[in-house]
Amino acid sequence: MKLLSIAARAKVVTRRYPFEPPVVTEGFRGKIEVDPKLCWGCGVCTRICPPNALTLKQREDGTLVLSYFMGRCIFCGMCAEVCPRGAITVTKEFELASLTMEDLTRDVKHDVVRCRICGRVIGPAVEIKEATKSVGGEEAKYYDLCPECRKLVVARGIMTKVGVRP
Amino acid sequence: MSGNGSKLLAKALSRLKRSIWVFHLNTGSCNGCDIEVLDALTPYFDVERFGIKLVGSPRHADVFLMTGPVTRETLPKVLRAIESMPRPRLILALGSCACGGGIWWDTYSTIGGYGRLKEILEERGVVVDRVAYVPGCPVRPEAIIYGVLVLLGAVEQKVRHEEVKAGG
Repeated sequence: MKLLSIAARAKVVTRRYPFEPPVVTEGFRGKIEVDPKLCWGCGVCTRICPPNALTLKQREDGTLVLSYFMGRCIFCGMCAEVCPRGAITVTKEFELASLTMEDLTRDVKHDVVRCRICGRVIGPAVEIKEATKSVGGEEAKYYDLCPECRKLVVARGIMTKVGVRP
Repeated sequence: MSGNGSKLLAKALSRLKRSIWVFHLNTGSCNGCDIEVLDALTPYFDVERFGIKLVGSPRHADVFLMTGPVTRETLPKVLRAIESMPRPRLILALGSCACGGGIWWDTYSTIGGYGRLKEILEERGVVVDRVAYVPGCPVRPEAIIYGVLVLLGAVEQKVRHEEVKAGG
Protein backbone atom coordinates (compact mmCIF):
# COMPACT_ATOMS: atom_id res chain seq x y z
CA MET A 1 0.00 0.00 0.00
CA LYS A 2 2.83 2.34 0.88
CA LEU A 3 4.49 1.56 -2.43
CA LEU A 4 1.31 2.34 -4.31
CA SER A 5 1.07 5.79 -2.77
CA ILE A 6 4.68 6.52 -3.71
CA ALA A 7 4.03 5.32 -7.25
CA ALA A 8 0.92 7.49 -7.47
CA ARG A 9 2.94 10.52 -6.41
CA ALA A 10 5.86 9.87 -8.78
CA LYS A 11 3.59 9.10 -11.79
CA VAL A 12 5.21 7.62 -14.89
CA VAL A 13 8.92 8.46 -15.13
CA THR A 14 9.84 6.20 -18.04
CA ARG A 15 11.01 8.05 -21.15
CA ARG A 16 9.51 6.89 -24.41
CA TYR A 17 12.95 7.08 -26.00
CA PRO A 18 12.84 5.31 -29.37
CA PHE A 19 9.54 7.04 -30.10
CA GLU A 20 10.49 10.51 -28.93
CA PRO A 21 13.67 12.61 -29.28
CA PRO A 22 16.27 12.00 -26.57
CA VAL A 23 17.11 14.53 -23.89
CA VAL A 24 20.60 15.80 -24.70
CA THR A 25 22.20 18.24 -22.31
CA GLU A 26 24.10 21.40 -23.22
CA GLY A 27 27.55 20.03 -22.56
CA PHE A 28 27.12 16.63 -24.16
CA ARG A 29 29.84 15.59 -26.57
CA GLY A 30 29.00 13.19 -29.35
CA LYS A 31 30.94 12.24 -32.45
CA ILE A 32 33.18 14.79 -34.13
CA GLU A 33 32.72 16.21 -37.59
CA VAL A 34 35.73 17.19 -39.72
CA ASP A 35 34.95 19.96 -42.20
CA PRO A 36 36.84 18.99 -45.39
CA LYS A 37 36.67 22.58 -46.67
CA LEU A 38 38.63 23.90 -43.69
CA CYS A 39 40.94 20.97 -42.89
CA TRP A 40 44.58 21.50 -43.87
CA GLY A 41 45.81 18.05 -42.98
CA CYS A 42 48.41 19.37 -40.53
CA GLY A 43 47.82 16.46 -38.16
CA VAL A 44 47.70 18.35 -34.85
CA CYS A 45 44.50 16.50 -33.91
CA THR A 46 46.19 13.13 -34.46
CA ARG A 47 48.92 14.08 -32.00
CA ILE A 48 46.56 15.18 -29.24
CA CYS A 49 44.07 12.31 -29.70
CA PRO A 50 44.49 10.07 -26.60
CA PRO A 51 43.32 6.76 -28.15
CA ASN A 52 44.60 7.47 -31.70
CA ALA A 53 41.11 7.52 -33.12
CA LEU A 54 42.29 10.17 -35.55
CA THR A 55 45.16 9.03 -37.73
CA LEU A 56 46.98 10.63 -40.63
CA LYS A 57 48.27 7.99 -43.01
CA GLN A 58 49.82 8.04 -46.42
CA ARG A 59 48.32 5.75 -49.02
CA GLU A 60 50.26 4.03 -51.76
CA ASP A 61 49.05 6.53 -54.35
CA GLY A 62 50.59 9.33 -52.29
CA THR A 63 47.44 10.90 -50.87
CA LEU A 64 47.32 11.67 -47.18
CA VAL A 65 44.21 10.43 -45.41
CA LEU A 66 42.93 11.83 -42.13
CA SER A 67 40.89 8.93 -40.85
CA TYR A 68 38.45 9.15 -37.96
CA PHE A 69 37.53 5.83 -36.36
CA MET A 70 34.69 6.47 -33.93
CA GLY A 71 34.84 2.93 -32.61
CA ARG A 72 37.88 4.03 -30.65
CA CYS A 73 36.99 7.68 -29.99
CA ILE A 74 36.46 8.55 -26.34
CA PHE A 75 34.63 11.79 -27.19
CA CYS A 76 36.92 14.06 -25.19
CA GLY A 77 36.77 16.91 -27.70
CA MET A 78 40.50 17.69 -27.46
CA CYS A 79 40.86 17.62 -31.26
CA ALA A 80 38.27 20.38 -31.62
CA GLU A 81 40.16 22.42 -29.05
CA VAL A 82 43.56 22.19 -30.72
CA CYS A 83 42.54 22.39 -34.38
CA PRO A 84 44.21 25.60 -35.66
CA ARG A 85 41.63 25.97 -38.43
CA GLY A 86 38.55 25.21 -36.34
CA ALA A 87 37.69 22.46 -38.81
CA ILE A 88 36.60 19.99 -36.16
CA THR A 89 33.28 20.44 -34.41
CA VAL A 90 31.80 18.28 -31.68
CA THR A 91 28.24 17.31 -32.54
CA LYS A 92 25.55 15.94 -30.27
CA GLU A 93 25.11 12.81 -32.38
CA PHE A 94 25.33 9.62 -30.33
CA GLU A 95 23.28 7.06 -32.26
CA LEU A 96 26.36 5.53 -33.82
CA ALA A 97 25.60 1.83 -33.60
CA SER A 98 26.57 -0.08 -36.72
CA LEU A 99 26.90 -3.65 -37.90
CA THR A 100 30.36 -3.34 -39.44
CA MET A 101 33.62 -1.80 -38.33
CA GLU A 102 34.07 -0.01 -41.71
CA ASP A 103 30.95 2.06 -41.20
CA LEU A 104 32.53 3.60 -38.13
CA THR A 105 35.34 5.26 -40.08
CA ARG A 106 35.31 8.56 -41.89
CA ASP A 107 38.15 9.61 -44.17
CA VAL A 108 39.25 13.02 -45.43
CA LYS A 109 41.58 12.72 -48.39
CA HIS A 110 44.35 15.25 -48.97
CA ASP A 111 46.40 15.76 -52.11
CA VAL A 112 50.12 16.08 -51.53
CA VAL A 113 52.86 18.29 -52.90
CA ARG A 114 55.96 16.50 -54.13
CA CYS A 115 59.44 17.97 -54.31
CA ARG A 116 60.07 19.16 -57.87
CA ILE A 117 63.65 17.86 -57.82
CA CYS A 118 63.72 14.59 -55.87
CA GLY A 119 60.00 13.75 -55.95
CA ARG A 120 59.67 13.19 -52.23
CA VAL A 121 56.33 14.00 -50.55
CA ILE A 122 56.59 17.27 -48.62
CA GLY A 123 53.11 17.70 -47.19
CA PRO A 124 49.42 18.22 -47.84
CA ALA A 125 48.73 20.53 -50.77
CA VAL A 126 46.26 22.83 -49.03
CA GLU A 127 48.56 23.48 -46.09
CA ILE A 128 51.55 24.28 -48.28
CA LYS A 129 49.51 26.54 -50.56
CA GLU A 130 48.19 28.54 -47.61
CA ALA A 131 51.61 28.69 -45.97
CA THR A 132 53.16 29.99 -49.20
CA LYS A 133 50.49 32.68 -49.37
CA SER A 134 51.29 33.88 -45.87
CA VAL A 135 55.06 33.91 -46.47
CA GLY A 136 55.07 35.52 -49.91
CA GLY A 137 57.99 37.26 -51.61
CA GLU A 138 61.33 35.60 -52.38
CA GLU A 139 60.85 32.53 -50.16
CA ALA A 140 57.59 31.57 -51.80
CA LYS A 141 59.30 30.22 -54.89
CA TYR A 142 60.87 27.41 -52.87
CA TYR A 143 57.50 26.05 -51.78
CA ASP A 144 57.65 22.90 -53.86
CA LEU A 145 61.09 21.83 -52.63
CA CYS A 146 61.81 19.43 -49.81
CA PRO A 147 64.09 20.78 -47.01
CA GLU A 148 67.15 18.97 -48.39
CA CYS A 149 66.75 20.18 -51.95
CA ARG A 150 65.94 23.69 -50.69
CA LYS A 151 69.24 23.83 -48.86
CA LEU A 152 71.08 22.74 -52.00
CA VAL A 153 69.30 25.23 -54.24
CA VAL A 154 69.88 28.13 -51.84
CA ALA A 155 73.54 27.19 -51.36
CA ARG A 156 74.06 26.97 -55.10
CA GLY A 157 72.44 30.39 -55.54
CA ILE A 158 74.74 32.00 -52.97
CA MET A 159 77.82 30.35 -54.49
CA THR A 160 77.06 31.62 -58.00
CA LYS A 161 76.45 35.11 -56.58
CA VAL A 162 79.78 35.11 -54.76
CA GLY A 163 81.52 33.70 -57.81
CA VAL A 164 82.58 30.30 -56.53
CA ARG A 165 81.89 27.42 -58.88
CA PRO A 166 79.51 24.94 -57.29
CA MET B 1 26.82 -25.27 -43.07
CA SER B 2 24.13 -26.96 -45.16
CA GLY B 3 21.43 -24.99 -46.97
CA ASN B 4 18.76 -26.25 -44.65
CA GLY B 5 20.73 -25.06 -41.66
CA SER B 6 21.10 -21.53 -42.96
CA LYS B 7 17.38 -21.43 -43.75
CA LEU B 8 16.60 -22.43 -40.20
CA LEU B 9 19.01 -19.81 -38.96
CA ALA B 10 17.41 -17.08 -41.06
CA LYS B 11 14.05 -18.14 -39.66
CA ALA B 12 15.42 -18.00 -36.14
CA LEU B 13 16.86 -14.53 -36.73
CA SER B 14 13.60 -13.26 -38.22
CA ARG B 15 11.71 -14.51 -35.18
CA LEU B 16 14.15 -12.73 -32.88
CA LYS B 17 12.49 -9.33 -32.83
CA ARG B 18 11.43 -8.85 -29.25
CA SER B 19 11.93 -10.29 -25.80
CA ILE B 20 15.60 -10.94 -26.26
CA TRP B 21 17.55 -12.27 -23.34
CA VAL B 22 20.89 -10.70 -22.72
CA PHE B 23 23.92 -12.10 -20.97
CA HIS B 24 26.11 -9.27 -19.75
CA LEU B 25 29.79 -9.90 -19.19
CA ASN B 26 32.30 -7.32 -18.07
CA THR B 27 35.31 -8.08 -20.25
CA GLY B 28 37.68 -5.80 -18.40
CA SER B 29 35.90 -2.47 -18.60
CA CYS B 30 36.19 0.40 -16.14
CA ASN B 31 32.55 -0.12 -15.00
CA GLY B 32 31.37 3.03 -16.78
CA CYS B 33 29.47 1.09 -19.43
CA ASP B 34 28.22 -1.41 -16.83
CA ILE B 35 26.61 1.40 -14.90
CA GLU B 36 24.98 2.65 -18.10
CA VAL B 37 23.63 -0.86 -18.68
CA LEU B 38 22.19 -0.71 -15.19
CA ASP B 39 20.77 2.71 -16.04
CA ALA B 40 19.03 1.26 -19.08
CA LEU B 41 17.29 -1.21 -16.77
CA THR B 42 16.02 1.45 -14.34
CA PRO B 43 12.48 2.86 -14.63
CA TYR B 44 13.81 5.85 -16.60
CA PHE B 45 14.69 3.85 -19.68
CA ASP B 46 13.17 0.54 -18.66
CA VAL B 47 14.29 -1.83 -21.40
CA GLU B 48 12.05 -4.48 -19.92
CA ARG B 49 9.14 -2.76 -21.68
CA PHE B 50 10.66 -4.28 -24.85
CA GLY B 51 11.06 -7.62 -23.12
CA ILE B 52 14.82 -7.27 -22.92
CA LYS B 53 16.13 -8.77 -19.73
CA LEU B 54 19.44 -9.79 -18.28
CA VAL B 55 19.96 -13.47 -17.64
CA GLY B 56 22.54 -15.11 -15.45
CA SER B 57 23.77 -17.78 -17.83
CA PRO B 58 25.04 -17.61 -21.41
CA ARG B 59 23.12 -20.82 -22.13
CA HIS B 60 19.85 -18.91 -21.79
CA ALA B 61 20.94 -15.86 -23.74
CA ASP B 62 20.27 -14.59 -27.26
CA VAL B 63 22.64 -11.66 -27.05
CA PHE B 64 26.10 -11.54 -25.56
CA LEU B 65 26.72 -8.07 -24.19
CA MET B 66 30.39 -7.24 -23.76
CA THR B 67 31.79 -4.11 -22.18
CA GLY B 68 35.51 -3.60 -22.16
CA PRO B 69 38.57 -4.16 -24.31
CA VAL B 70 38.92 -7.87 -23.37
CA THR B 71 41.88 -8.13 -21.06
CA ARG B 72 44.19 -11.14 -21.20
CA GLU B 73 42.75 -12.26 -17.88
CA THR B 74 39.15 -12.30 -19.11
CA LEU B 75 39.83 -13.71 -22.58
CA PRO B 76 39.43 -17.43 -21.66
CA LYS B 77 36.21 -16.66 -19.78
CA VAL B 78 34.84 -14.64 -22.69
CA LEU B 79 35.60 -17.48 -25.10
CA ARG B 80 33.96 -20.00 -22.79
CA ALA B 81 30.86 -17.86 -22.44
CA ILE B 82 30.54 -17.26 -26.19
CA GLU B 83 31.11 -20.93 -26.99
CA SER B 84 28.42 -22.03 -24.56
CA MET B 85 25.81 -19.75 -26.13
CA PRO B 86 23.24 -21.38 -28.39
CA ARG B 87 22.86 -20.33 -32.03
CA PRO B 88 21.89 -17.77 -33.29
CA ARG B 89 24.70 -16.04 -31.50
CA LEU B 90 24.42 -12.26 -31.40
CA ILE B 91 27.05 -10.00 -29.89
CA LEU B 92 26.62 -6.40 -28.79
CA ALA B 93 30.02 -4.74 -28.38
CA LEU B 94 29.24 -1.92 -26.00
CA GLY B 95 31.40 1.14 -25.60
CA SER B 96 34.50 2.34 -27.39
CA CYS B 97 36.66 -0.22 -25.58
CA ALA B 98 34.69 -3.20 -26.83
CA CYS B 99 34.49 -1.79 -30.37
CA GLY B 100 38.05 -0.77 -31.14
CA GLY B 101 39.93 -1.04 -27.87
CA GLY B 102 39.25 2.55 -26.82
CA ILE B 103 41.99 4.18 -24.81
CA TRP B 104 43.49 0.70 -24.21
CA TRP B 105 43.81 -0.17 -27.88
CA ASP B 106 47.53 -0.98 -27.80
CA THR B 107 48.32 -1.78 -24.19
CA TYR B 108 50.08 -5.03 -23.34
CA SER B 109 47.33 -6.41 -21.11
CA THR B 110 44.36 -6.15 -23.48
CA ILE B 111 43.75 -7.69 -26.87
CA GLY B 112 42.18 -4.44 -28.09
CA GLY B 113 38.47 -4.91 -28.54
CA TYR B 114 36.27 -7.01 -30.73
CA GLY B 115 38.46 -6.73 -33.85
CA ARG B 116 41.07 -9.07 -32.39
CA LEU B 117 38.50 -11.20 -30.57
CA LYS B 118 36.83 -11.84 -33.93
CA GLU B 119 40.09 -13.27 -35.29
CA ILE B 120 40.49 -15.51 -32.24
CA LEU B 121 36.91 -16.75 -32.57
CA GLU B 122 37.46 -17.49 -36.26
CA GLU B 123 40.62 -19.44 -35.42
CA ARG B 124 38.67 -21.55 -32.97
CA GLY B 125 35.83 -22.06 -35.42
CA VAL B 126 33.19 -20.29 -33.37
CA VAL B 127 30.48 -18.79 -35.56
CA VAL B 128 28.99 -15.45 -34.57
CA ASP B 129 25.84 -14.63 -36.49
CA ARG B 130 25.65 -10.88 -36.06
CA VAL B 131 27.59 -8.18 -34.27
CA ALA B 132 26.61 -4.60 -33.50
CA TYR B 133 29.16 -2.04 -32.43
CA VAL B 134 27.97 0.73 -30.14
CA PRO B 135 30.63 3.43 -29.66
CA GLY B 136 30.49 5.80 -26.72
CA CYS B 137 32.59 6.46 -23.67
CA PRO B 138 30.52 5.55 -21.79
CA VAL B 139 27.54 4.77 -24.00
CA ARG B 140 24.32 6.57 -23.22
CA PRO B 141 21.39 4.36 -22.20
CA GLU B 142 19.57 5.64 -25.30
CA ALA B 143 22.52 4.53 -27.42
CA ILE B 144 22.29 1.05 -25.88
CA ILE B 145 18.61 0.83 -26.81
CA TYR B 146 19.43 2.10 -30.30
CA GLY B 147 22.24 -0.47 -30.58
CA VAL B 148 19.90 -3.31 -29.73
CA LEU B 149 17.42 -2.05 -32.33
CA VAL B 150 20.21 -1.97 -34.95
CA LEU B 151 21.31 -5.46 -33.92
CA LEU B 152 17.81 -6.85 -34.38
CA GLY B 153 17.33 -4.99 -37.64
CA ALA B 154 14.42 -2.91 -36.34
CA VAL B 155 15.98 0.38 -37.44
CA GLU B 156 18.40 1.33 -40.18
CA GLN B 157 21.86 2.31 -38.96
CA LYS B 158 22.69 6.00 -39.31
CA VAL B 159 26.46 5.98 -39.75
CA ARG B 160 28.01 4.99 -43.07
CA HIS B 161 31.56 4.89 -44.27
CA GLU B 162 32.40 8.18 -45.95
CA GLU B 163 35.41 9.38 -47.86
CA VAL B 164 35.56 13.05 -48.73
CA LYS B 165 38.15 15.12 -50.48
CA ALA B 166 39.70 18.06 -48.65
CA GLY B 167 40.12 21.59 -49.94
CA GLY B 168 37.62 24.31 -50.77
